[in-house]
Amino acid sequence: MDGKKIEGSDALSRRGFLKSAGVAAAATTLIHETRKSLESTIPSDATVMRGESELKFKLNGKEVTAKVAPSLTLLELLREKMDLTGTKQVCDRGACGACTVHLDGRTVNSCLLLAVDASGRNVTTVEGLAQGEQLHPVQQGFVEEDAMQCGFCTPGMVMSCAALLAKNPKPTRADCAEGISGNICRCGTYLNIFRAMDRASALMKAGK
Amino acid sequence: MKNFDYVLAKDAAEAAKAAQGKNTLLKGAGTDLLDRMKEGVSRPDIVVNLLTCTDLRAPIREEGGRIIMGAATTLTEIAESPLLQKVAPGLAEAAGEAATPQLRNRGTLAGNICQRPRCWYFRNDTYACSKKGGETCYSIEGENKFHAIFENVSCNIVHPSNLAPILQALGATLHVVSAKDDKVTSSDIALKDFWVRPEEDISRENILGPGQVIREVSFATPAAGTGSAYVETREKASFDWALTSCAAVLRIEGGIIVDAHVVMSSVAPTPLSVDAVVAMLKGKAPSESLFKSAGAKATDGATPMRDNGYKVTLVAVAVKRALVSAAARAVGGAK
Repeated sequence: MDGKKIEGSDALSRRGFLKSAGVAAAATTLIHETRKSLESTIPSDATVMRGESELKFKLNGKEVTAKVAPSLTLLELLREKMDLTGTKQVCDRGACGACTVHLDGRTVNSCLLLAVDASGRNVTTVEGLAQGEQLHPVQQGFVEEDAMQCGFCTPGMVMSCAALLAKNPKPTRADCAEGISGNICRCGTYLNIFRAMDRASALMKAGK
Repeated sequence: MKNFDYVLAKDAAEAAKAAQGKNTLLKGAGTDLLDRMKEGVSRPDIVVNLLTCTDLRAPIREEGGRIIMGAATTLTEIAESPLLQKVAPGLAEAAGEAATPQLRNRGTLAGNICQRPRCWYFRNDTYACSKKGGETCYSIEGENKFHAIFENVSCNIVHPSNLAPILQALGATLHVVSAKDDKVTSSDIALKDFWVRPEEDISRENILGPGQVIREVSFATPAAGTGSAYVETREKASFDWALTSCAAVLRIEGGIIVDAHVVMSSVAPTPLSVDAVVAMLKGKAPSESLFKSAGAKATDGATPMRDNGYKVTLVAVAVKRALVSAAARAVGGAK
């Protein structure tokens, strides 16, 4: 989308047609003018983020800070600024689940979450599951049941499985299917993933 | 995604004031908005965040004979609410079937109602379709498998919300905060009056204008003997939009249907209340054959296009199944 800037108020009818860099440069001035005239509609005491500002949140158990622009997604922040590349970018539209992380213990698509919306929240990525060398039961289950082929969906799958088991320690096959219904595996490893969840459930029951 | 100024509104009134300007969009979870912004279909200069509005996060509760929900209540919270599961199981099931666990954990009540249509010509920024200010509805001659079979005149979108039909069947009201300069007022809008048909204004799906924010959604606590259900047909068991859907609310007393509300969706640009079906149900004893006839009746006047004739059959099935389920719950008492 970069390089497809459009002319402020004319945006709706001309979308998609002004794609050249030259037009983009000319349009930048117009956007600034439009913005200036709009400022009065925002209450003067309202909190407004313009450009980069500091974000604080808890990431894998540790307080972290980062400079982020409002348009940066949590996925981009994790992968490109935090060096946490376990979380995968695939569709970037919330349709595949490869970018699944936990936000306050619930699964979310980090590609559709603005990083700034994680402010003050608790984010867990696949890197935060293991305790040192001790794998999370779901990770152990995936290893033991060979629940991956190309591995690209795996971090997101693991996060969905871990969230399900935290809520429902002994899921039925139907619960497991529902639990990973927001994750797609191109290689078709679903049956092994179900077995990995059974294994993880047993490991958790045994306290491992 | 183009950058924007991000207003962290503290309540609905502040959000409404901030949202009066041009090229300003409201954002709940943003799961639909970010998708459109990444596609270049929406390019706001200012985005007003509603997640920071404390009054939109008011909990699901029963007050003065009404069930009230904050507009930013998530679909997961609706699906898992013991209160809603008891008094309006059709609403809980509609929320629980939407999209995926990840999206339900973030997607909000008002966001689900106000999400933009899924028409692939609308969603693709290379098509200057009539909804985006162009001159052509590409679905008329093009690929129209997922498009409307009713009221398909100038723009053949189908309404994508799966909370809207059941909320409309429950007689829901939207509590809206409106700003005009510095002055803020509140008003109530019946959900059935919320929709805008393409022939009225092709660029929008509802009447919400600049400076207007949905704060809460409520409906009268269903009377004893009421059953509600939401049924949708899909290509995939999960992670899909409905091909056709139907919400039904029935009240049964002494073995007779005394009140009925039937709303079809995914078949027209707006959720459709089916009055002809309601008329044939009232005063009759519930039965599978009655509900099957009701499903057939609901398809009267359908105008399918080249690729979507199958929807006529499917929506009749959705109507029948929703009525069967609602009747079972009405008779079953608590559910």
